[in-house]
Formats: sequence, C-alpha cells, structure tokens
Amino acid sequence: MTVYGLIDCNSFYCSCQRAFEPRLKRLPVVVLSNNDGCAIARTKEAKALGIKMGEPCHLVREQRKLSGVQWYSSNYPLYADMSRRVYQVLLDHAPRVEPYSIDEMFLDLTGLPGDLSQRCDDMRAAVEQITKIPTCVGWGPTKAIAKLANYIAKDRPEMEGLCDLTNEQTRNRFYRNLPVSEVWGIGRRLAARLDDTGIRTIAQFVNAPPAHIRKIAAIIGVRLQAELRGESCLQLSEVAAQRHGLACTRSFGRPITTHSDMSEAVTGFAVRASEKLRAEKLDAAHVSVFIQTNRHKRDEGWYANQASLTCAPTSNTLALTAIAMRLLRTIWKDGFRYAKAGVMLNDLAPAGTQHTLFDIPSEQDTALMGTMDAVNQRFGRGALRPLSAGVERSWRPRQNMLSPRFTTNVHEIMEASSF
Amino acid sequence: MSTYAGDRTTGFASPAADSVEGPIDLSEVLDLRRPSRYPVRVRGATFAARGILDGDVLIADTAAQAKGGDLVVASASGTAILAELKANKGQWWLISGDNSHAPIRVDPAQDVEIWAAVTGVVREKP
Repeated sequence: MTVYGLIDCNSFYCSCQRAFEPRLKRLPVVVLSNNDGCAIARTKEAKALGIKMGEPCHLVREQRKLSGVQWYSSNYPLYADMSRRVYQVLLDHAPRVEPYSIDEMFLDLTGLPGDLSQRCDDMRAAVEQITKIPTCVGWGPTKAIAKLANYIAKDRPEMEGLCDLTNEQTRNRFYRNLPVSEVWGIGRRLAARLDDTGIRTIAQFVNAPPAHIRKIAAIIGVRLQAELRGESCLQLSEVAAQRHGLACTRSFGRPITTHSDMSEAVTGFAVRASEKLRAEKLDAAHVSVFIQTNRHKRDEGWYANQASLTCAPTSNTLALTAIAMRLLRTIWKDGFRYAKAGVMLNDLAPAGTQHTLFDIPSEQDTALMGTMDAVNQRFGRGALRPLSAGVERSWRPRQNMLSPRFTTNVHEIMEASSF
Repeated sequence: MSTYAGDRTTGFASPAADSVEGPIDLSEVLDLRRPSRYPVRVRGATFAARGILDGDVLIADTAAQAKGGDLVVASASGTAILAELKANKGQWWLISGDNSHAPIRVDPAQDVEIWAAVTGVVREKP
C-alpha cells in the first residue's frame, strides 16, 4: 500500500531565528512580513500573548504586555538555506521527498521496513538535532490524508507530533469530529458554500454524493473526496513544474510620489525578474507592470493600473527593463502616493527555443548577461545593475529588525565565545 | 562566461585538455554543503593552547556525536560558547580552555545544551 507523509516545520521562520540565538529559546518570537508590516510567523509563546497572524506590528508593538516580544524582519536567505537543510536531512530517511512549500515536505513512505511511527519519530529527531527546527509528521494512504494527519499532529499536543491515519477506523473517527474547512484545498468560501448545503464535518463531505460535491466544488472537490476515502489521485512531484509566469513585486518602505523613484523601483523589479528568468533558463514573451496606492488609505486617493506588452522572447535585463519603462510611462499618474508596484513576466519558454525572424539575440548579449549574473553571484545581489535601478533607493522595503544571515554570508555567521 | 582553465588553447592544442581538474573548492573539502555543517566564528582565545584563536571560523557539525575531550559549541545561559566536553560520573560537563570559568554541567532542563561538535577550524589571515 502506498503511504504518503507530510512533515511540517513548527513556526518555521521563528524556529530558524531560534536555531542560532539560544537566548530566544523560551521567549515569544514574531517574524514580520516584507516591509516589517504584519506578523507572519509566531512561536507558541507569542500566540499565547494574543498576537494574531497578519496583525500589523506598528499597532500593537507599544502594548506593555508585548514588551518582551522579539520582533524580526523576515530573513529569506536564512529561511531558504534552512529549508534546504531540512530537505536534505529528509532524503536520508525517505527515498522521495517533495518540497511542497518552504516549511512543508511530502514524503514517500511506501514499503519502508520497520515500524512507521518509530521511523517518523526518528526522522523528527534527526531534523531537530541537525537543523534545530521542531516538526510534526502525519501520514496516510493519500496526500490529502497525510496533510490532515499533519494538522492533527500539530493541533493536538497529546499526539506528540505524530499522527497515523493509515487505518480507516481511525480516520473515520477524526472525520466525524473535524470541520470540513480543515481539509487541504477547502478554503473559507468553499467551506461556507458546503455549509449552506448542510456539509460541516469531513465525514459529511466524504459521504456526500459525488454529483452534489461536483456541483459545489467542481472536479477538485470530487478528487478530494476520493483522496479522503483513501484513493490516491495526487502523485508526489519531486520537482516544481515549469513556471507559467514569474513576478517580482514589493510594497515600498515609504510611499513613492515621483516618476523617477518609481522608475528606479520598477527597473529593480525588472532586473530581478530577468535574473530569475535566466536562472531557470527561460525566455519571456509578455511583460506586465502594475502600480497601486495603499488600499487601506483610500482617503489619500486611490489609483491602480496595469499595462502589458507582447515582445520577442528574451531574458535580457536591458531589453526587459526598457519594455517595463515604456509600460510604466503609459500608466503613471502624478499626484498619488504609491505603495506597491511589480513586474510580471509571462509566456515563458525554454531559452532560445522560440526566436522570431527579426530578433536573434546576439552572442554579446548572452555573454553580457552571463557576466552580470556571475558578478552578482560573487559580490552580492544588485552589485552590478543598470544605473536606472537607482543608487540610494530610499523606497526600499523596511527591514529594521533583520537578524544576521547566519548560514549564507561569512561575515554574518553565528558567534561563540571561547569559554 | 569565457574561462580559460588550461584546456582550450588557440594555437597549439593543450596536452592537458582532458586533464583539467579546476581549483580546489574548500567548501567541498570541509563538506559545508552537508545539512549538518555550520560555520561559527570564535570570539576570545581561551582555547589558544588547542590552536583556536580569536576570529577563527569553526566548522560545527550538529550530527556528529561528541565524546570526552572534543570541542563543542554549546548554549549556556542564553549564549553560544566554545567549550571542551568532559565526562565525569555519568554526566557531561563543559570545560573552559584556560580554567577561567568553573565547569558547567550539561542539562537541557537548565537550557545548557550541546549545539554541535567542532569538526574543523579555518583561519583566514594567520
């Protein structure tokens, strides 16, 4: 019988911060979104203080009861490297691992010898010893069941971080008592529509006539129903599918009011997006640019617009930047306080496979881009960039509470005092 | 990028063309890609007698099993320290390199824990 597992890192971003700062061990830790805006990861101590997911930091920070909270800007280079480490440890314990998100991995646990509970416990212990990150593991005959098992393992302390849903009787017991909204892929809106037809528990969902589910939740719903019954529909995918689009968007550290600042920002996004494109050896044939003011401050004036253009397939930074600048000019309006902008690249295809008659990229262009990437690889992102991407870049997102990049930059590694 | 590595000569064919091995990659030698390997900077020189000086970069391995006499990175009273591990009467102790501190007993309940075993040391500018 096929067995899928799902291992999930507890408060992943916070756990990464704790890994390298022992003083944080029992303190409430919160990691903030881009721009130091909202709480996006909380330790259980922080949750106990009533800090909610998505809570804006600046609104609650001054409260006396939160004076002991350790706030951190999100440090993505650190989290990416720790995610890699978790993945590599898992490969020593399961033959196939699917990195589903930065902090969750699906495992193929089919046919492994010995007691599966013991194995999963050993796996958790190894991940924690090696990466210092605590995890929970759930498993069952399908991915949807593994995901649910993981939720139960995490939600109920008495499970001690493990939950086995391979047994149908055990599953049905949980199904009767869990709301359908805990099922992977059933969001709030879908849950509300199911609720309207009297489907509240997972058991009710699983036992509903497929025709009824198809009407409410289309084929996805029917597939989930089968998965929850133990019929596997979703396979393990060890690598991400080729992208259809690629975006680089940011909220600004302060509102942008001038065209020149916005040009810098949008150039920067185009540069980064084309870098990502080349890293995946792709060309883009469609470019979009959007700009918008703060949705929550409509009294300051609200404006949002987007423009797109089809172009000859390319991954050339200078070509893509030029297009982005043209698009920006068509949507720019003076007199607004812009909070966010972005560049999106679409119609992606493997580099060099879809050249038109007229736009054959010169070898020099390819060499120039290769050199630019190599320089930036060696001297840090943005070391070599078009001057139009700006020098001062005062609109850059705020990251005032950034920890060192403990594992990716030799000048910022962990320190130990000689005892 | 065009890189000449001793192979693709323009005039006379390089007799070494099939034998290029490239420069030594220290991160490979030190096995830094292993998920359990972390570089850690030392502050202070209490372990000078064991050849570890202020500013050295330790290669700490969180999967390695430390035994008596080994150097370890440990956490004690909320900070990371470099200490020598010693077994005494069935317990593990963290020992100072120059006897400047009294030994501390390893006790996870008191948040005194071994973080990693030291498996190597790198000095950038001796």
